[in-house]
Parts: sequence; structure tokens; C-alpha cells
Amino acid sequence: MNLFRIAFAGSVLAGAGMLAQAKPIAFSHGTTVMAEYGAGTMTEAQVFYAPKYFLSLGGGYLELDSSIDHRRREIAYARVNYLAKRWNMEDAQANVFVWGGAGQAYVSELNEHQFAGNVGAQFDYETRRIYASLKTDLHRADAFSHRIDTLQLGVAPYKHDFDSLATWFVVQGRRIDGGIQEGTEWSLLLRLFKRGAWLEAGVTDEGKLQAMAMVNF
Amino acid sequence: MTRLKNWKMFCTLALLTGVAHAGTIEMKVYGLVCGFCAQGIEKTLRKNPATADVVVSLEDKLVAVATRDGADISDAELTRALTDSGYDVKGISRTQRSLEQIRAQLKQDKK
Repeated sequence: MNLFRIAFAGSVLAGAGMLAQAKPIAFSHGTTVMAEYGAGTMTEAQVFYAPKYFLSLGGGYLELDSSIDHRRREIAYARVNYLAKRWNMEDAQANVFVWGGAGQAYVSELNEHQFAGNVGAQFDYETRRIYASLKTDLHRADAFSHRIDTLQLGVAPYKHDFDSLATWFVVQGRRIDGGIQEGTEWSLLLRLFKRGAWLEAGVTDEGKLQAMAMVNF
Repeated sequence: MTRLKNWKMFCTLALLTGVAHAGTIEMKVYGLVCGFCAQGIEKTLRKNPATADVVVSLEDKLVAVATRDGADISDAELTRALTDSGYDVKGISRTQRSLEQIRAQLKQDKK
């Protein structure tokens, strides 16, 4: 796990970009690489390739560290993402994504690995000035069931264009059930992206770092 | 003799214009709100051997393609390329504006 953290920190320092909750499918024949550090409770990395604009395949690694006790989950999974519906409007876009996958999870209190399943969905709506998304992600094995719900509301101080830097201020609320986290954790984030690189970082209401990085190519 | 000179000059100018500006196709596209997501459009269009250059403007909901000299991309092919990128094409027109002129106009509009 230390190696993963070092690799993540290295990618941040290298300016690869920090990410938050973006779309699980970038574009047709595009590859998306992302990493997230969620306030010490949740750490995730994903790689997806999209053969079509509505479909992507790949895998990820998710670590959940309980802020309540010493429970820890290390989940490696393969996943398929599907764009179920897209609305392209003149000045806005909205999407519904769903996904499902399976893998293996390490359960710390049992000191064993178990088969784990993953399903989730995301709805997002954005214009060039406002952004809203709601994501639910369920990871389940014999020993646990964790649902991660994430709400993001963003506002852009100016309208970015294709070749210019986009700046967003985002409020994020996140709840992880199943003994990982109590209540809802709120974060204030600064999101920056330009072309294929995306950086996002901020602090939670407890003053912890929340950061994500993503690249599309 | 003067007529021949004029004709030569016309041919040279036409040739130069043809090289610099073979043809421009402008498309009005819906759903263009995020540069991070829209880069797939540029990537897809640049793969087409008939494409010389591409301009994308979120502000104008515009995707403009300059084609190579003597080449063209059909409306059906363009629509498919944009649809396969996840966007909706609302109109396609072939114009006399070069991409340099479009870029200059977009820059002017921002001021």
C-alpha cells in the first residue's frame, strides 16, 4: 500500500493532475487514468479504455480505511462502464452512467481475501458555469457491504473554452456506510482542467486532504 | 502579353489560395460544454486523412474542419464522427472562411 501511496504522491507532484468525480467514459478510443486520495478514508485508482463513446472497460483498486475502527478493505476489480443515457442540449449536457464489475477484496479483520462485486451509477448535469453530479458505488463481499455516495456541486467563475484552462469551485458531500465512516464528509475543492489533464484538490470539514488526478489520452 | 501575365497571376493566386484554404466545413454541435470531454471530437476528426486542421469552440458550439486540397468529408461521415464522439450535430455548412479567419474571429469575440 505504501508503494501505491508513493506512486500517487509522485503523480501529483509530477503534475499529472488531480481528479475528483469525473465521467467514467471519456471518449471513443480514449484511455482514462485516474487516482483519488479521499481524506485518508478512501484511496482509489482506475484505468479505463473506451472502445465506444458509451462503453469503457478496465480495472481499479480501492482501499477503504475505517475512521471508526481498524477495518480495512483492499479491493481490486475489473469493471465495465456504460453510458445509459445522454442528453445533449444547446448549452448543457446530462448523463446517466451505470457500471458493474467483480474482483477480489482483502478483509483485514478476517485476514483473508474474498470475491467482491461492484455496481454503481452516476447522474451528472453541466453547463459551462454549473456542475452537479450524484454518484453511488456499491462494493460487496461476504464479509462487507459498503456504499459510497458522492454528491458534487460546482460553479465556474468564468466560461472556459476548448483550449483554455477551466477553473471550478466544487462542494462535495460523501458518505461511506458499512462501518467505514460516520456521517457525511464535506469538502471544498478547487478543480482545474485543460485538454486532457485534470487536477482537483481541497480540504474536508475536518481539515484533511481530498485530491484527485486524471488524464485522458 | 499583359493578358498572359494576368492569367499567370490569377493561376498563382488560385493555387496559393487552394493550398492555404482547400475547404472549410463548419458544424453546429450540441452538448459542447466541457473541453476535457470534447477532446475526443478533435482526436477523431484529425484521424481522417482528408482533415488538415480542426477548430473547436465551446462558446460558439462550433466544430470547424479544414480539408486537404482536393479532399472532402461527406456530411454523413462527419455526422457519424461527431455522433460516435457522443455529441449531436445540428447543422453542417461548407464555408469560404479559413480556419485562421475563424480563429481570429473567435479571438476577437472573446475581447
